[in-house]
Amino acid sequence: MAVCVSVIGKENSPLYVWVGSGREELHLHYLAHTGLDVIQEKITSVTKTPGDTRDLYLGLLYATEEYKVFGYTTNTRIKFVIITDAANTTLRDNEIRMMFRRLHSLYTNVVCNPFYIPGHQISSREFDKGVAALVAGN
Amino acid sequence: MSRQSMRANDPKKVSGELFTLTYGSLVAQLLKDYENVDDVNRQLERMGYNIGMRLIEDFLARANPGRCYDLRDTADKIQQAFKLYLGVSPSIGSWSPGGDEFSVVMETNPMAEFVELPEHCLGLRYSNILSGVIRGACEMVQLEVMAWFIADQLKGDNMTEIRVKFVKRLEDAIPAGED
Repeated sequence: MAVCVSVIGKENSPLYVWVGSGREELHLHYLAHTGLDVIQEKITSVTKTPGDTRDLYLGLLYATEEYKVFGYTTNTRIKFVIITDAANTTLRDNEIRMMFRRLHSLYTNVVCNPFYIPGHQISSREFDKGVAALVAGN
Repeated sequence: MSRQSMRANDPKKVSGELFTLTYGSLVAQLLKDYENVDDVNRQLERMGYNIGMRLIEDFLARANPGRCYDLRDTADKIQQAFKLYLGVSPSIGSWSPGGDEFSVVMETNPMAEFVELPEHCLGLRYSNILSGVIRGACEMVQLEVMAWFIADQLKGDNMTEIRVKFVKRLEDAIPAGED
């Protein structure tokens, strides 16, 4: 069960952060932020090997005692970070990949809205509904 | 955005998503330029009028519909045109008791896919171009009608509904010029 879902823009500014109810928001924001460093590392290390098609899914970025942080990046440098409970061992890698894929398609729907300016905060109701379904459905 | 489209190998056919995105950026730019929602609505209707005037020729050439003997025939032709150009199958309903008004009801509006109206322009009639198209097309066949939106899915209604009202038959062959 995802505890926090966030979308981070090209310049590493947060575009959207959802935190499950009853969770410590600040701590989760902080974890997502530290995840960015790991993402940066992974991106730069892979591009040094030319001809290697990079996978968008970055996998487990790092784990703390309470949480596991997963990352995904798009070719337009938009990053998605999903944080789950460390205790939750039932979430398989495949399911996390599915969640990221759905998140990516939700994001592309938001970008297609002519009134959305890329790089600004996401305040779309459809996106909110989609994220709620995403965390509830898994 | 990864939808499998059954695209005919016709070089003149354009992807539906490209059309939706083009129309979306057109409306967004109009909003930026005019900043007043009513002006944008008016401009969209006017643009639709110009499109309708020209589109009717193409429709008459392609579909070769017969003469319309009353408003119900006209409503059928409008339904046919929506199917031909937008790929939607609207239903015609809500006839007024006098038989001079009807509604074109669409369950999906391909022009407004992915669109969400922001708070500051809730009065915007996003697909107002369609009411203009209906008015322009009918005027070229000597029929003066009024068309306007009474329900819009972007505003939370279930269906998108355009109301068309017959005003009068034009005896003059030349339509009134735009100001």
